[in-house]
Amino acid sequence: MIPFLLRRLVQSIPTLLLASLLIFFVIQLAPGDFLTPAKLNPNISPEALAALERNFGLDRHPVEQYFLWLRNMVLNLDLGLSFSYQQPVLDVIKPRIANSMYLVLLSTLLFYAIAIPIGVYGAVRQNSLGDKSVNVILYFLLGFPSFFVALIVIYFILKMRTATGWEIPINGMTSNGFDSMTSTQKILDIAKHILIPAIILAITDAAGLTRVIRGQMLEVMRSDYIRTARAKGVSERTAIWKHTFRNAILPIVANIGGLLPSAVAGAGFIEVVFAYPGMTPMILEAINAQDLYLIAGFTVITTVLLVIGNVLSDILLAVVDPRIKVG
Amino acid sequence: MKKILALALALTVGAATAQSAFVWPAAWTAEQNTTNKRGGELRLSAISDFKTMNPFTSAEADSIPTRMATGSGLFTQDPRNDEFIPYMATGAPVVSNNNKRFVVKIRQGMKFSDGQAITADDWISTYKIHTDDKVGSNSRDTFFLIGKPITVKKLDNYTLQFDFPQPSASALSIMSYAPWPDHVFGKAYREGGADAIKKMWGLGTNPSQIVSPGMWVVESYRAGERTVFKKNPNWGDWNKDSRGQELPYLNNLSVRIVSDANAALAAFLAGQIDIVGMRNADDLAQSKKAIDAGSLKAFLKPNVSPQATSQWIVFNWNKASDPAKQKLFRDVRFRRAMSHIANRQAMVQLALGGLGSETYFSTYPIFKQQLEAGLAAGAPQYKYNLAEATKLLAQVGYTKKNAQGYLVDKAGKVLEFNLSTNAGNTVREQLGRIFADEAKKVGVKVNFTPIDFNSLVGQLTAKGENRPFDAILLGLSGGSNIWSFGSNVVPCGTNLHSYNNPTDGKCATSQEQLMTKLYYQGDAELNDAKRRAIGGQLMKVEGELQPVIYLVGGNYHVAFNERLGGEFAANMMDAYYGQRFQALTFIK
Repeated sequence: MIPFLLRRLVQSIPTLLLASLLIFFVIQLAPGDFLTPAKLNPNISPEALAALERNFGLDRHPVEQYFLWLRNMVLNLDLGLSFSYQQPVLDVIKPRIANSMYLVLLSTLLFYAIAIPIGVYGAVRQNSLGDKSVNVILYFLLGFPSFFVALIVIYFILKMRTATGWEIPINGMTSNGFDSMTSTQKILDIAKHILIPAIILAITDAAGLTRVIRGQMLEVMRSDYIRTARAKGVSERTAIWKHTFRNAILPIVANIGGLLPSAVAGAGFIEVVFAYPGMTPMILEAINAQDLYLIAGFTVITTVLLVIGNVLSDILLAVVDPRIKVG
Repeated sequence: MKKILALALALTVGAATAQSAFVWPAAWTAEQNTTNKRGGELRLSAISDFKTMNPFTSAEADSIPTRMATGSGLFTQDPRNDEFIPYMATGAPVVSNNNKRFVVKIRQGMKFSDGQAITADDWISTYKIHTDDKVGSNSRDTFFLIGKPITVKKLDNYTLQFDFPQPSASALSIMSYAPWPDHVFGKAYREGGADAIKKMWGLGTNPSQIVSPGMWVVESYRAGERTVFKKNPNWGDWNKDSRGQELPYLNNLSVRIVSDANAALAAFLAGQIDIVGMRNADDLAQSKKAIDAGSLKAFLKPNVSPQATSQWIVFNWNKASDPAKQKLFRDVRFRRAMSHIANRQAMVQLALGGLGSETYFSTYPIFKQQLEAGLAAGAPQYKYNLAEATKLLAQVGYTKKNAQGYLVDKAGKVLEFNLSTNAGNTVREQLGRIFADEAKKVGVKVNFTPIDFNSLVGQLTAKGENRPFDAILLGLSGGSNIWSFGSNVVPCGTNLHSYNNPTDGKCATSQEQLMTKLYYQGDAELNDAKRRAIGGQLMKVEGELQPVIYLVGGNYHVAFNERLGGEFAANMMDAYYGQRFQALTFIK
């Protein structure tokens, strides 16, 4: 186990170096920099702009900027200062990551809770009316991006709101007066706000996984050892859940590592549609403002998590499938 | 006996503070709070998240520090006549040394939100930190005039002395910066210098540590969601309404972060926020519909005034790579023809949905007094007139048209130029297209291409004899009604003097020299009427030279939820002063 981890650690160094290099220089390729909009301000003098450039280190050569940034990152675990916030990147990102995690974790839970039973059901009752209708619906959902579904849902919520007067939140993460609520009220308030985006995310994503599980289950169910198990008189329940399911979910386990970076990276455009204070809106704003170290720092974090997630996947896979050995 | 003594003491102290209070004129609101309604929350929105609570590193327009500092500064402008009146100062400054020295007495009895007295030290420390270039304050420039620093000295605890390198019309405005607490920032600065200042008051700072000189202080901050401000309890000690009641009436101000302007409008229509900016006819129509349907109770007034912005086309005078084009762009007849081509009325109708104003000068149409002074001085307006444009182009040497209908010179070369604007700005894209269409009618070929904003700014601000563009359509905003000409725009050699920006920064024409001279002359003139007259002269020269073709500007519309009271009278509302003072706003 330990040699495996060490080997992975060594392997990850060139990966991360290359990733950081790419991130940094791709951002540099864009025309202009963080101070470009300030140049259009009739009240900022060229001297002040030059002073700001010096303060931000933007007057240095990009290669020099890269090495300074890399050195700080390796030696001090410091991802640099965000230009627009004038604060360490980590401090800026932390609250946003926490917000995104609430949403992503809930939607992941819902995602498995929806995809696994439906996938298994589809395989066990293959070609039944239920299976077919589920298939049709999922087929449609696969084609829809989640943010589009979200827009449709918001439309119906608004219609319902004008018709019934129900206060279903469609944006943000908390209500007015959140700070004066008790802790139970706070949890309920957040739950109320994230439930709908989480469900939309889970449902649209579940379409893909359901089909994978269904296919896997069908394949495993036809294999010899399941037939043998059934012939030996194993109950249907055990045959499906213990023998078939455990073997069918191997590809899912292999993907679990990807959850780690995605939990941090935010829920994508759904956060934008619901004006949710997660990672995505902030990163979009940072890209817009060319806030160099904020974009680079965030990308490095997700890359590191991706590497760690992959290691975790491998270990998990070894736990689930005894044929695979780590080390 | 003791009780009576205490009561008497309280009464005298009370009387003393009442005397030293600033009384907000009753005329500053159309709706008096006569029933003394108190409490409640004014709910606003913002498109992008707040970046910091630190007043020295903040670079945003409506930052947390500027919101907190609402209701601070030595002087304030009266929206009725634009005049400066003493605010944190007790009276008008004593001016000496050829209008370069200002001695100001500070009102006594003012306190920060943490209860500490506001004294001269706070202004001194704030000044020192703003001017330290290692801090990187955005306000640093405001403490310099023609490259020389303005100095601030403390004469005693309640007297300040400002020394300017030369007289300035903006002196009172420059002096009116918010004083941040010396016992917080001054202390940190003395101990740890610029680095200590930069580390202060980030978004993670506990709001209980935040201290404010103004009306508001942060109560809570939630990243990307909402910031709630509460009233500074000590502000009311020296801010009273005309009936002697403490201000503000409101308890809280909240700013909700919305994803974009559409979301802000939706929140307004749903009654979740109280005030929203109306961008265009579509916004107005949606709000009107909601009001008519009864789902929203709101006040709506379109076209209250022009916005304080400009949209223009500038031609590049530094085009060494193409001497023919350089000669053309430097020809005043060509530029006047281009102004005649600009169909500003169509631009207002088509690009701004009818809700805008035609512009002919760098002075925004909202600054009416300056504009009138310019017209009185005889500043010309080259209005839409294709026949006149054709005539002027013929004078330049373009009389023949080719088979495609474009004007050609003697060598048969088509009269054409490239015009860029920033891609994604739909209004500017439409303005450019209208301009190109009209130009075609007289035979000028305009190759109009929207390009990336950052590249565009790079081109516009490039220096040298051969700058990389023909013509650019862009806009500016910002500036004051005291001296409404850009310090970076008018004088030769400044970075937004965008038509002529050679390496040595020299003027190319005598008119530019005159404009530079008039700019500094007006900036140094303290008398309002005389200064406006100088501005009028400047507008006349600028109008004749037409280095920049001004096009149109959008209008400012007012919309607010009817639960709010205390707004300005309708004739006082405009894009510069807004629709109300927060201090006089109350919830009905």
